[in-house]
Amino acid sequence: MTGHPRPDGRFGVRDHVLVLPSVVCSTNAAERIARESGAVAITHQHGCLHVGDDLRHTERALIGTATNPNVGAVVVVSLGCETIQGRRLARRIEDRGQRVAFVGIQAEGGTERAVAAGVAAVGELRAVLDAIPPEPLPAAAVTVGIDRPRDPLAPALTAALAGRGWAVVDAPGDLSAAESHVALAAAGAQVIVSLRGPGEAPLGFAVCPVIAVARDPALYAALRDDFDLPDEDAERTVADVVARVDATLAGEPTASERRGARDFVLRRLAMTM
Amino acid sequence: MTELTGYRRANGTWGVRNHLLVLPARTAANRAAEEIADAVEGAVAVTHEWEGAPGDPDAELVARTLTGFAANPNVGAVLLVGIDDADRALAGAIAGRGQTVHLVAMAEHGGTAGTVAAGREIAERLRAAIADWPREPMPISALAVGLECGGSDALSGITANPALGIASDRLVAAGATTMLSEVPELVGAEEILAARAVSDEVARRMVAVVHDFERAVEALGVDIRGAQPTPGNIDGGLTTIEEKSLGAAKKAGNAPLTGVIEFAAPGPPDPPGLYVMDTPGHDIEQMVGLVAGGCQIVAFTTGRGTPTGSAIAPCLKISTNTAIFERMAGDIDLDAGRILTGEETLQSMGDRIHDALLAVANGETTASERRGNREFAIRRTHY
Repeated sequence: MTGHPRPDGRFGVRDHVLVLPSVVCSTNAAERIARESGAVAITHQHGCLHVGDDLRHTERALIGTATNPNVGAVVVVSLGCETIQGRRLARRIEDRGQRVAFVGIQAEGGTERAVAAGVAAVGELRAVLDAIPPEPLPAAAVTVGIDRPRDPLAPALTAALAGRGWAVVDAPGDLSAAESHVALAAAGAQVIVSLRGPGEAPLGFAVCPVIAVARDPALYAALRDDFDLPDEDAERTVADVVARVDATLAGEPTASERRGARDFVLRRLAMTM
Repeated sequence: MTELTGYRRANGTWGVRNHLLVLPARTAANRAAEEIADAVEGAVAVTHEWEGAPGDPDAELVARTLTGFAANPNVGAVLLVGIDDADRALAGAIAGRGQTVHLVAMAEHGGTAGTVAAGREIAERLRAAIADWPREPMPISALAVGLECGGSDALSGITANPALGIASDRLVAAGATTMLSEVPELVGAEEILAARAVSDEVARRMVAVVHDFERAVEALGVDIRGAQPTPGNIDGGLTTIEEKSLGAAKKAGNAPLTGVIEFAAPGPPDPPGLYVMDTPGHDIEQMVGLVAGGCQIVAFTTGRGTPTGSAIAPCLKISTNTAIFERMAGDIDLDAGRILTGEETLQSMGDRIHDALLAVANGETTASERRGNREFAIRRTHY
């Protein structure tokens, strides 16, 4: 098993260049950069007119996602006048030891120039990442996230995953699944195990493979293409999840990666001004 | 006066565009919706962060927003991509507004891949059914234009906003509707607008909507100055929210204030006239609110420059200064900075904006449409 060594000593199990809009106004430019360069982008509706805790929380979520070990490099795409200033965001991501390029729509002089600059930046960063050979992946460098700690399966699953020498992190129980994926990614999880109950369709996340486990037989039957594992008895499911994490670490795409799902949902802590 | 043409909808509203909208009902349907729209010529999709968790206190607001957006008369038909039976309510609400809507539920197609295959077929059929919808002479009373500003600077209140106000006054005088929004950016201007209200009740609501916002901010225990004005506003020479507001309110010209309406209120409002919609200052949340309220076009002034556009409504961008117009020529349609150089007067620029809005209504594309901008955001009020 190999991984992608990062400057801070962590390992990625994927090697993404992430195109990160600092604000909703630059999401279209970010998406175009990703599409034209083969990078991944996050689409979100935040970045402007936040106040107080809501501002700090949003900035922390963006920085956390951008510094997940599966992200080898980041292109921050800014508008220029937004509350979460793109240049400051890029600097704070860089301060965490990440490779960062910055593109500003107002600074470059419009969408077209920003897209061209962004595509060029992705190309340069991709070349840097591609020149770094993978290294053996120590078990202790793996963190697996679980998005529903209150699921009855969670304790046995946590024990089994920890038994492989992997770190396990779970999300606060009051977060929705999609919100918790952001939190888990920010906490450094390279793989997310998502436990989905009745009526809950599987989700994906841009920078982390999500292993979707059905916790309801009817749900699995209805949406089987988007699930990685069916609802089985607890012992079997735990063993299957561990095996599926192994395969994911080895590079096998999860269902979420195959369909290109990259749902990014951030909880707001205050109204938008 | 330019003759207007548009698409007459079965429910009596008029569109200036004829889009097939592929709308995900919930976040988990985003990917399928995008893929369907990518595969079908003439289809547009938006994506969003609404998971639809049972019991979410914002459910009603979000349903109203998505329903209004889908029911906008610029949309000829809607393909709603849902998860399961729970999404029938949204499809029903859209149909209830007189819109053609077809629901494709992921749970009936085994997930994303099957949904994309099935959805493509339905989308092709819906597209074919609306493709030949004719443009007919359209009454100006059926036109609603949103009045928005984003990335304001010290010139906003001197050039682009008052020029847009002149255009708004002409539209209202001719019988159309215009909608001012962004309540946080009306703080300090509420009495000016209230003084123009058509009734005491409307005047009272105008003042109340601003004061309610101020009280909500106080209750949060935050200082609005942390967000308003924004860093870009300050770089552009604005010093306080009151200064920003007095400039922002200029977009509404001098017409009487006909009403104050809630976010994404089912539109178009009756009777036509100048309205204030209760929206945040956030450019995209307010644009979605205006479009969900029935605006077919958004007029958008900008000092710092922004590419913003809607998937279904043309957004006409007007710069406050020539420097940003030249720097971001591909993203901005008109330059009100020419007022400063003496090449235009406020009146001639206002007339130019007015004429451009009618030309856009008649099919001329805006910069954001040519670029394919389709930013989308859902306003949340519970935390």
